[in-house]
Order: sequence, then C-alpha cells, then structure tokens
Amino acid sequence: MEAKEQKRHQRKQSGPKAERKKSRKQRAPGAEPDEDERRRNPRAFAVQSAVRMAKTFHRAQDLKTKKHHIPLVDRTPLEPPPVVVVVVGPPRVGKSTIIRCLIKNFTRQKLGDICGPVTIVSGKKRRLTFIECGNDINTMIDLAKVADLVLMLIDASFGFEMETFEFLNILQVHGFPRIMGVLTHLDSFKNNKTLRKTKKRLKHRFWTEVYQGAKLFYLSGMVHGEYQAQEVKNLGRFISVMKFRPLVWQTSHPYVVADRMEDLTDPETLRVDPKCDRTVSLYGYLRGTYLKNKGQVHIPGVGDFAVADVSFLPDPCPLPEEQKKRALNQKERLLYAPMAGVGGVVYDKDAVYIDLVSSHVDQPQMRPTAELVQSLIGTHATLDAKLAASKVSLFSGAAAMTPGEQQAPLENRVWDPVTQRERRKAVFSDDEEEGDGDESYEGDEEGQSEQGDDEEGLQGGDEEEKSSGARESKVGEARRGQDEEEKAPRVKRQRLERVEAKPPVEMPAFADSEDDLEMSGDDGEQSEEDEREGAEGGTADSGHCSEEEVDDDDEDEAEDDNEEKQDGKEEEDDEEDDDYDDDEDSDMETEVTAPVNISKPVKAKVSVLSEEAEEDDGDAGELGNESTGALRWKEGLAQKASEAFLRQQQAAPNLRKLVYGSVIEEQNSPSDEDADEIGGLFRVSRPEKSRSRRVDAMDCSRFVPDSPHDWDQEEVLNSIRDCFVTGKWEESKDAATLLKEDEELYGDFEDLETGEVHHGKPAKEEDSEEEVMVKEDAEEEQKKKRLEKKRRLKERFDSEYDDGDATYFDDLKEEMQKQAELNRAEFENIDDEARVQYEGFRPGMYIRMEIPGLPCEFVNNFDPHYPIILGGLGASEGNVAVSPLQGLKKHRWHQRILKTRDPLILSLGWRRFQSIPLYHIEDHNGRHRLLKYTPQHMHCGATIWGPITPQGTGFLAVQSVSGTQAGFRIAATGVILDLDKSVTIVKKLKLIGYPYKIFKNTAFIKGMFNTMLEVAKFEGASVRTVSGIRGQIKKALRTPSGAYRATFEDRILMSDIVLLRSWCPVSVPQLYNPVTSLLQPVGQKDSWSGMRTLGQLKRDLGLRNKPNQDSLYKPVVRTKRHFNPLHIPKQLQKALPFKSKPKQDQKKGKTPRHLQRPAVIREPHERKVAALLTALSTVHNYKTKKAKAEQHAKHKEFLKQKEREEMEKLKRQKEARKKMYRIMGQKEKKRERSSLKGSSKDD
Amino acid sequence: MASQGLTYEGCNFFRQRLVLSTLSGKWVKIKNIRSKDDSPGLQDFEASFIRLMDKITNGTRIEINQTGTVLYYQPGLLFGGQVEHECNPQRSIGYYLEALLMLAPFMKKPLRAVLRGVTNDQKDPSVSPAASASENNSSHCCICNTIHVHTVDTLKVTSIPLMKSFGIDGEGLELKIMKRGMPPGGGGEVLFTCPVRRTIRPVQLTDPGKIKRIRGTAYSVRVSPQIANRIVDSARSILNKFIPDIYIYTDHMKGGNAGKSPGFGLALVAESTNGMFLSAELASNPQGQGSPMLPEDLGCNCAKLLLEEVYRGGCVDSTNQSLALLYMTLGQQDVSKLLLGPLSPYTIWFLLSSRPNLADPGLLLSPLPSRREFLRHIRDFFQIMFKIEVQKQEDESRRGGDKVLMTCMGAGYANISKTLK
Repeated sequence: MEAKEQKRHQRKQSGPKAERKKSRKQRAPGAEPDEDERRRNPRAFAVQSAVRMAKTFHRAQDLKTKKHHIPLVDRTPLEPPPVVVVVVGPPRVGKSTIIRCLIKNFTRQKLGDICGPVTIVSGKKRRLTFIECGNDINTMIDLAKVADLVLMLIDASFGFEMETFEFLNILQVHGFPRIMGVLTHLDSFKNNKTLRKTKKRLKHRFWTEVYQGAKLFYLSGMVHGEYQAQEVKNLGRFISVMKFRPLVWQTSHPYVVADRMEDLTDPETLRVDPKCDRTVSLYGYLRGTYLKNKGQVHIPGVGDFAVADVSFLPDPCPLPEEQKKRALNQKERLLYAPMAGVGGVVYDKDAVYIDLVSSHVDQPQMRPTAELVQSLIGTHATLDAKLAASKVSLFSGAAAMTPGEQQAPLENRVWDPVTQRERRKAVFSDDEEEGDGDESYEGDEEGQSEQGDDEEGLQGGDEEEKSSGARESKVGEARRGQDEEEKAPRVKRQRLERVEAKPPVEMPAFADSEDDLEMSGDDGEQSEEDEREGAEGGTADSGHCSEEEVDDDDEDEAEDDNEEKQDGKEEEDDEEDDDYDDDEDSDMETEVTAPVNISKPVKAKVSVLSEEAEEDDGDAGELGNESTGALRWKEGLAQKASEAFLRQQQAAPNLRKLVYGSVIEEQNSPSDEDADEIGGLFRVSRPEKSRSRRVDAMDCSRFVPDSPHDWDQEEVLNSIRDCFVTGKWEESKDAATLLKEDEELYGDFEDLETGEVHHGKPAKEEDSEEEVMVKEDAEEEQKKKRLEKKRRLKERFDSEYDDGDATYFDDLKEEMQKQAELNRAEFENIDDEARVQYEGFRPGMYIRMEIPGLPCEFVNNFDPHYPIILGGLGASEGNVAVSPLQGLKKHRWHQRILKTRDPLILSLGWRRFQSIPLYHIEDHNGRHRLLKYTPQHMHCGATIWGPITPQGTGFLAVQSVSGTQAGFRIAATGVILDLDKSVTIVKKLKLIGYPYKIFKNTAFIKGMFNTMLEVAKFEGASVRTVSGIRGQIKKALRTPSGAYRATFEDRILMSDIVLLRSWCPVSVPQLYNPVTSLLQPVGQKDSWSGMRTLGQLKRDLGLRNKPNQDSLYKPVVRTKRHFNPLHIPKQLQKALPFKSKPKQDQKKGKTPRHLQRPAVIREPHERKVAALLTALSTVHNYKTKKAKAEQHAKHKEFLKQKEREEMEKLKRQKEARKKMYRIMGQKEKKRERSSLKGSSKDD
Repeated sequence: MASQGLTYEGCNFFRQRLVLSTLSGKWVKIKNIRSKDDSPGLQDFEASFIRLMDKITNGTRIEINQTGTVLYYQPGLLFGGQVEHECNPQRSIGYYLEALLMLAPFMKKPLRAVLRGVTNDQKDPSVSPAASASENNSSHCCICNTIHVHTVDTLKVTSIPLMKSFGIDGEGLELKIMKRGMPPGGGGEVLFTCPVRRTIRPVQLTDPGKIKRIRGTAYSVRVSPQIANRIVDSARSILNKFIPDIYIYTDHMKGGNAGKSPGFGLALVAESTNGMFLSAELASNPQGQGSPMLPEDLGCNCAKLLLEEVYRGGCVDSTNQSLALLYMTLGQQDVSKLLLGPLSPYTIWFLLSSRPNLADPGLLLSPLPSRREFLRHIRDFFQIMFKIEVQKQEDESRRGGDKVLMTCMGAGYANISKTLK
C-alpha cells in the first residue's frame, strides 16, 4: 500500500558473512552440528544446577502433557458431508455478497438471491454448504449448533455490533466451531491511519473474544458490487484448507440441514381440510453421526417428530471421482441449491419453477438476473386455478430445434463410464424429442432466443418425473438442466431410479434383505431394463400399474410387490388416485398449457405428446388399465407368496432371517387369525395353543439343548477334544511350531566363549518336511506361512520397539486407532442397502426423511431463508424430566438479574423452549435453597422442567426471542450437570407461635399448629424465641388444639414470639413450551412470544400491586422535645463546692435609676491638680519608655558581640581539631605503612 | 411431546422388555398377559420384579389393570444406591439379578443390592403355571429330565468377568452369596454391588482360546456334608478325561446361612486361556417335589452339561449371551464383535412354529420354536441390528459345533443418570 520506494536488500555473495551463511545452511539438515557443539563446548551443556534441571524437566513434561487430549476414536466418515459455512453478521454488512462472491470464485456461477443452503464442490475432497444467517436470534441459535465454520462479517466502518457478541456467546455455549472474522466496508475509511488503527483495534477485540491470533480477514473494497477477486480467492483458499474440530454435540447426534422440502400430503385431504397436519419430506446431507431409521427428530422452531421413513438418495453434488490431476475442471465444479433457484429450477413447497432466463451452455456467465417465468405445477390447485395460474403454455406449436443444438448437452454430459452414458442416451432420445416440441413452443410464447436452455430445463423436469415415477416423490426432484454442472445430478439420478425400482419405502426396515441382497443385482438389471423399456415406450413408470412390468417381473420382484400390497399401503392407492387426477388434468390441458405435473403421470403425458398415439390411448385409459393391472397383480399374489414361501423353506437357512424374521412371516400370522372368522362377523375363540405358548412362555435365559449329545460315546467326546489345552493346537499357535520359529529367528548365535557359531536350522528343511506332510497346495501354504511369519515378526519388533517409550497415552491412542480401522473396515464391503440397516445411515449420505404430522403452518408459512434443521435425538432424549441445570450463571453483560419463576427461553441441545426455572444455591450442608433472584456475579443452580439432555451439554437462556431489544439479549449460560425426576429444592418456612402459659423453663405455645397430629410430626424439633432463647417441642396438648408444651434453656416472656425454622420442598412448574418460530407467518418469524412474565403481564395490563400501607413513605413529623429544668435539692446545693453550685447570678440588666450613682463634679482646684498629675505621669511614662528602648538596643548589641565571640571561638576550635586529626591521620598512615613495610621486611 | 413406546403381547420375555424399556426410555405396554390362563395376569414373581424395578428407578410409572393382564410401564431414570429386595421364591434370585446386571452400570449412584430369596433353584414343571404351559418347550433338559434356572453361582463366575471385559470393573464390582437358600423355602441372601459407568467399551471377543482349567462349587445345605464330596467325585470322573486341572470346591453352609430348605447342587465353570468362561449348573429337586436325586447322577449330569456348553463354545456361554449382546449394543458408536455358540432361544425370536425343518441342529438354533427374542427386542428399542455370520467348523477339527460371529455397531449410548461432577 505504501508507495514509498525502499532500497532492496542486497544479498551478500562473497565475504565472511556469506561464508557463514553458507556453512550454516549446509549444516542445517544434519543433527551432527549439535553433537559437535556439545563435544566442542561441553561446559555450555553441563548441568549447572540439579534443581533447575529438575524444574526445567518438569516444566517440559507439564507442557507436553498439557497438549494431550483424551484420545477419541476417529469416526469421521470417509466421504464427509459438505462443510457447513455459516455467514453471519449484522444487516447490510455484505453477507449475501460474500456468499455470492465465494460461489462465483469456486464455481464460476452467479447466484441471485441466496435462499436456503447452497452446496458447492470446492475442491477434490471438500464440499461447502453456505448458509446465510439472518439477524434473528432464533436463526442464530439454530445455525450455531450446526456450523462447522463461521464467517463472521464485521462492518469496520461501524465496529462491532451487539449481534456479533451475542452470536459469539451462542457459539461458545454450543461448542465452539471454527470462526473466521471478515472485516468489510474498509473502503469507507478515507484516512489511512484511522484505517490501520481501526483494523488493529477490531482485531484485538476479536482476539479477546475468540482466541489470541484468530484469523481476521480484510476485504478492502468493492468492485462493481463485488469484493476484489483476489481477496475472495484468498478467503476461499483459507476455507478450503481449514481443519475443523469435532464438537461433542455434533459428533454424538445425527442432524440434517434440510436443503429441500416437499409436501406429500394427499391433495384430497388438503382440499377437505386445508389446515390438516402435513406429511413432509425433507432432504439434506446427513451430518454428525449415524442415523437410525425410525428415530425421533427435533426440528428447531417446530417441535419433536417421529420419522416415518428415511431413505438415501444419490448425491446431488458429488465429489469428483478419484483422479490424478490437480484442479477441478469446469464440469466438476458443482452447485446445488434447490431453494435458491440455481440452474433455473426452484423447488417450492408444492411446485417446481423453471427459470427460463438462464445461462446458455455456450455463455454461462451471461445471467445477470434470475426471473421466474413460469410456475409449472400446482398439485394442490384445481384445474381452473392451475389454468389461471400458469402463465406459459408449453405446447402451442412452434419450430423444432435443430438436432445439432440438442446434441450439445448430450456430448457435454460425459461424466461417468460407459453404462451410465448408455442409459442416459436411452432416456435422452425420448426426452430430446419431447424437449424439442416443448422448447419450441415455449420459445414462441416467451419470444426467447435461448432455446437450448429452455429445452434443458424441461428435460430436467421430464427426467425428474421419470425418477419420481417410482412413487417416491410426488413433487418431483427435477433438476436444473443446464450447464455442465448439471451432469452430475443427472448421472446420479439414474442411480436413484435404480434404487427406487424396488421401492425402499414400502419395505419394512429390516425386511429379509438377505434375499434382497441376493436379488439386488437382478433388481438393478431389471429396473434398468424396465427403464429402457419405459424410455422407449415413453413410460418409465416402475410402479405397478403397467402390465408389461408385471410380466417382466420375475418372482422376486413379484414377491416384493406382494409384500407391499399386503402391507396394505394406502399410499399406493392414494397415489393411483393422484395419477388418475393428474392424468385427467393433463389430458385436458394438453392443447392449452402444460403444467408439468410433478408426479409421474405427467411424464406419461409429455411422452404422449411427443410421440406415440398408442401410448396416448393407453394413457387416456390409464385408469382402467391401472385397475385391471392391479387386479391381475393381486391374482397372482397368493400363488406367488406361497411360491416364495416354499423357496424360502428350501433355501439355505439364513440366520439373519431367522433372527430378524421376514416380512412374509409377519404378514402370514394375522391372516391365519383371520381364517377363524365365521361369516365375517364372529370369531371363533379357539385357544391358540402355539401362540399362547409363545406369548406366555417362561422367561428364562437358560439354554438347554433339546437333543443333547450322548457324552458317553467316545466319538462325541472327541468332538470337543481340541477345545481344551490338552487338545491339538492350531498350526500357528502350536508350541512346537512356535519353538521352531523361535529357532529360526534367534537360532543363529555365536558362543562368545568358544567362538563357535551356531546356526539355526535352515528354513528349507522345515519346508521340505512340510512338503512331505502336505503335498497339495504346498506353495500356497508356504506363502501364507511366510506372510504370517513376517507379520508376527513385525508385530514383535513393533511391540519391542515401541515399548521403549510407550506410555499409557500411546497405548490408548493405538487402541483408538485400531478401533477406528475396524469401524471403517467392518461394513465396508456390504452394499449400502444392507449397510444402512446394520449401522444406520452414514454421515455424508444425502437422505430424504419423511415426517408425518407436521403442522400446516410449517408448509404454509415456509420461508427458505430460515434454516430447517433436523436434529436427531438420542435414546431417551425425547422424554421430559426435571433436570437441574447446575452452574447456571447470569451473563455478565445482561443488564438485569433473573427472577425465579419468570419464564425463560432456553436453548438446550437441539431445542429452543420456554420453561420456568427455579434458581437455587447449595448450602454448605448440601441443601439446595431456593433463591428469589439469581446472584449478580455468582453461579447458582437452576432447575427446569425440560427434555432429557445428556450431561455436559451447554445451554443458554434468553428472555425473549421476538424483535430486537436494547442491550445484550443472552441472559444466562450454563451446563447440564444432572438429570432427575425429583427435585430437592427447599425454601425456608418459619412457623410462629405465642406462649400462653409459662412455668420456669417450660412454656405452653399455641398458634403454631392446628392439630395434635401436626404437632406430633414436629415433636423434638427445636424452636427459639426472637430474643434467642432456644428450646424444643415436647408434646402436644389436648386443648387448645395445635398447642404444645415446649422447654427452653431459660424462662421466656409472655411477650416473646416462638419461631420454628423449617424447610419446605418446592415443586417445579411443569412448563415446556417449544419456540415455534418457524410456524410464524412469513416476515414475522422473529416475533414469537411465549408466556409472559408476571412483570410483563402487569405492565401490559396496567395492573399494579396494592402496596402495604405500612410500607409506604409518609412525611416525617417530629414533636418538639421539652426538657424539664434541673432541680438540685437545697441540701445538696449546700454540700457542693462553689464551682459546682448553681449560680444564682443573673445577667446585669439596666441599673434602676434609684440605684445609679450620681456623677461627681470636680472643683476647679481639684481639676488643676488632676491635670498636673496627668501631665507629670505622661512625662514620666515617656521617659521610662525611652530608657527601656535604649536598654533594649544596648542589650542587642551585647548579644551580637557575644555571638561573634562565640563564632570566633568555634572557628578556632575547629582549626585546632582539624590540625589534630591531620596529625593523627598522618600518624596512622605512617604506622600502617611502617607495619606493612615492617612485615615485608620482617619476612 | 409424546415419547415413543412399544406394545407387546404376552408375558414372555417380560424382563427383557422392562429392562430395555428402562434403558431406552421408551414406554412399553404389555397386553394379554396370560389372558387365556387359569390364573390370569401377572404372577407373584413378576410383580416382585416390577417392584424391584421401581426400587432402582426414580419416576417410573407403572399401571396394571384389575386382572393384571395389561401392564403399562413408563420408565424413569435409573437411580441405584442401596436397595434391598425380597425376591419371590417362585423364581430364584438369578431371575432378578440378570436384570440388575444389565442395568447396574447405568445408574446414577453405584448399586448395592441385597436380594433375598432362592439362590439356587431348579424348577419343577408342576409348580409354576407358566412352566406347565410350556412344558415341552422351555428349557427342559433331556439329560437329567429337569429344568434349570441358572443361579447366582453361575452368574458370579461368568457374568462378572464378562462385565469386566466391557470395562465395568474396579473395586465396586462384586457378587457375593451371603446365605444360600434352596427352594421352596428360600432364605438365601446375595449382595451385588456394581460401579457406575458413563460409557461402555466396545469389545472384540473373537477368539475363545482353549480351556485351561475347570473350577466348580458343589454346595449342600441342610443335608449331609458328604453329599458335596460325592458330587465332586462323580463330576471329576467325567471331566478328567479332558483336562487334569480341575478343582471343585465344596461349600457346605450351616445354621443361619443355610436357608430354609434342604438341597444340594453343583456349578461348574471352564476357564479358557483367553479368559472366557463357560458354565453349567444343576441343582437337586426341591424338597417334597419330584423324586429324590442321587448326588452322583447330579454330578455326572452337570459335567455333561458343561461338556455340552463346551461343544457349543463361543466366547460367552449361553446364559450370558443376551447380557453380552446388550452391552455391545449399548457401547459407543464403534464396532463390537463377539463369537458365540448357537444362539439360545432366549436370544432369538423364532416365529414360525410351522417350520420346524428350518431348525435342524446344523442351524445353530434350538429347534424349540416360538421364542421371542432378545435381538428382536434390541432392534425394537435401539434400532440396532447385528450382523450374524456363521463360522463353520471343519470336520476334522475337534472343536465342537458351529459358531456364530455377531457384529454390531454400538448405539452410542451414554449413561444419562450419572451426575457430572
């Protein structure tokens, strides 16, 4: 930045400095120089102080052990799910911009509105999911729980905002993911110095919040509304090489950040009751840990739900296949954002929108605006509504596209090996033609030139329908059909079809999948076949409606189908109904508009349009066909079932099936029961022997064989001979072989005394021996043996080598490592269908979860800007219990203290809920005493009625989640320490009684209790009076009831009050009110308000407490104090000394006239005499005064003189002393010198 | 916020259901408990078991209808601590103890349970209605024509070491027989203490090793002490053919420690080089029921039972299969492996009684049909499925019958009751 030119550093090429550097450089790699130094200068490395050495050693060891963490088994999946990058910051700070820039950086694509999670492939081994976090505290809390990396945007021109700190605190509570700060708006600084200072200040503040040295990124300015490419690139690099820490909560719970939502509710039920509960399927990558199929999930902002079904889908945004090259090519830079409308397809809750103004294949960069042109489908709308709503008619007749244009995408779609391509072509040829027509029509309508695009979009839609033909998704999973990115999803979709050919939904989770496994290959092929057929014929419906399919199905398939049918799945029927409706719809619409229906029939429709008339007929009469097809299907059912049954019986016994049963068994048993019905009305109650026996058998774990062996026979005895140490050992463990091996290993030795060299037996001999023993496959044997031997040797070596400095920690680590390897290896080779049943769904899979019973507001008020998180719940985390959250502390930044029984919103585990806490503190004797308020600076416990959550889980509390408030919103934080169903909190209760009769130390007390029984309960309890006299309750009295006799340590007064101090248990208010913020209407999602506090209620209703009159302040009126005069008896007065006697004298008033003395008037003579006398005395006075002054001056002079003399004297004395000291010093010196001299001389 | 639950029918596997329900937190409803029986509803011993569950938990909700044919059980949190329980003499203490073994590591406080009742028991079919209903399909031994309920002695020597291999060890783990009580009177007393763990270690027990020694206890109460010696002699006579390292202790309890009824029995355990234990046990007929037994017969039969157990093999004997599998399930999310002999009917549910041909001996399954099974329950409660692989034995290897290798991924279960300090 600084423009000042500085002189460049010149490296010395020659001279001593260069030499030194050279030598140092040469020395660097080897360890010898150190050795050399040690040898050369041993003293520098010698032990100076044993104590210090011990200290440094301890210090080093401390530091070393500090670095240790408890080793954990590494459970990260091999193909991890995309990293969740949450972009958070105050409004207008540039969150969307930075996401857009990063996406552009990674995928070269521009995105309009960032809506919902956006998943991209950022590198060969990493995918990223960007989520923008709004300013709503609900969103902040939810996303903090799933974030792997947080990009914290800070407006440098403004500084930190409260939201930033709030978010940091939320993160700290829920485990601390990686945080990267990003400073934006740096271009608003005009002054370079202020910029630098601001940067530094913000950085240091950020460090104190996160950790010292946390990365803070600077985005210096905008160019055309985007950040500078180089800076974004750097940021991207940081993100793509970042390592993440495993967070406890995340690694122990499965969770999905849903990136797609579909409403599966039956349209008919919807029509009847628009507010009915919805069945919704949610899609997303599974993260965290393994997810079991029928589990419970919590959707933050909605509530707890049981998952009806989970199935895994092919990855829509897969990592590139393994390859050697460095960078990703354009095709591999995938982008998947179903909610954001990328690739021209937007998934809404009930419709798929295709964006027609999307980028062309040839010019992918040209797409400045995203415009929704057409809503293709409204499943829930009636025909009229649909007609009214649809803006574009797809098939109104237009020019066909040139084949060249169509071919282009085909060629580009080279993504996978041959098979997939083949299939794609098959599907495509059909599609192309459809697309042809469609596209051209559209082009007409819209007057657009970018036909290729349209066509692709449509194709995507079509294809999607095809896949959804497998009844799984009513709302199709159309994928954007554009650009090269599109390739991956397409390829994947093919796989999906294969999977769905045998609908996993209808299979009970643990069906006899051994069979499935066997058949899986067949199925795959078959479905492929079907599909091809479908592609040709235009119906790729792998459902059960088409005839051919039933024919084609081999028995296995049929069996499956049967099972499904028998399950009595109503869904199927529903679907068929749907089909019917849709068909009709589309039939009618063909000419006018084409609302591309998302469910399968539409595809049929489209295909009809594209080509064959026969097919059309078939479609038109599909209802009929369907019904007949279904019937025919049912006909074969019984027979097929029996066949299957037979087959099963004949088949090799399959343990897993025996253990876990098969579907048929379960279905057969009820049918047996049904057989007992007479006329469909009555049931024969026949004690079913086998069943009752089964059901009510004795509960005993002993396993005694039915047909035991006869242990008297020798051969039976021999059959277990080798189970004992006395029996024969395996080759590898046999003592003889082990000895031999040892010989081989350690056989060679040299006897040092004699110098004789002993050689072990050469291995060949042994081999030859073996050859004699085992003729066939000796080679094989040998090889195996050698390998085995090698392995054992290595093991031994390893153990010996490691034992040297193997610590407990190392052992533990090794154990974990082994376990991790085993975990990875155990189920590796099983195919996914079966694997999912053993270990659950792996993290990293793209799954679809079907959740029934969601409130309709979830769908109606769906806003993709708010994240939907499906948090899996552990074993008993669905239950509610009282859980004391100990170690709760009011946040030091929160302005006010918290009050017991004021509702508080807690974020705990996945959940956000309102509950009523009771605060308490532990007394020294372990008693939990209720507190009215949280202490200001101390920890205290809190007990809430809330869901069971594992100990060690952090939580935070806010008082309200609605709107923005002034001040710091996080009221308290803490951690769950204990779970319990009962509470031990007590509060103090003082019972008051009054004595009514008092003997010496005994008193009768009344008014404390009401009955004798109550008193009996408190016999022996200690009481005390207000004045502190202690006593004990002795016995209840008959009258008055509730009175008792008590003894005290002293006599009490009638005016005393007697207290009994007791502790009374408090019950926890049972409020668990989940924060249903996601159900709020769009735009008001942050306005959820739950139960109000008492204070709020009073404020809102304008209520005030009637105060106690006695506690009111009144003006203080003080009466004037009047003191009586002090009266001293006369006797005393007499005895007192005068000083103390009261003085009678009063103030002199005016002397009365009669008491005034008359003025004296002098005679003239007297006057003269007086004047003379005055004159004389004046003269005398003057004289004396003068004399005194003179005297004084003289005396002063004298004093001066005296002082001078004194000075003189002192001076003299000083001189003399000086002289004397000098002489003394000289003498001393002389003496010293002489003594020195003398001694030397003496010597 | 309704928690999940499960509904079952019939009283079979009553303990499993309650134990798994308690561990998983799911409520369980059992209907039609002996509804067609002459004495419908829960039996005394089951009621006693429910009472025990109530004692060790906190906040459990139990609802039983008037006739006792429907039970609703909503589990609370496992509490533990000091528990004393008077076990119903219809079943031995082992019945109750097995459940405690499964639950004990997951309590809030270390369990210290004193159970009183019948320590060693052998059921006569005619006594218990439950047993009479299942006369020909329950654990009816053809060797000695009696029914065995494994007892405290067996659990002591097999379950405790098994628990240790799962990381539940330390000072607190102890099972002690204070007094012996034989049926029908009972009067025995057992002390069981167990420490608390937050998580359980995964195990890889795939190599049972070879049996290196056989130990045993021949006990006798209120009969001649000589009987124990006679049992020992006869048992040794059979086992000596295999291994010389046999030592059978004689345990003759007297006076207050001898319970209320006379009886005798033998418990044998075989220990392998890898620390695995296989056990067998036999007790005499209760007083006044059945024909008196000769101690020699009992010793022989018990030894044969042990050989049978050895034939089945595996790392865990048939009694402890469900315990071991449960611990595997409740482990962390790691792979556990366990080699077992044939799965016992208690461990398996095998529904189709109409398919006896599937249950040939080579199948590793008891031909006794109609057993609801532990693995199924585990699947119901924890959604954990085991990978089951059969390890066939070669013909010339004289190592007993075929084995089953059970593999599973733990549920990631953690003790939620334990207080964090």
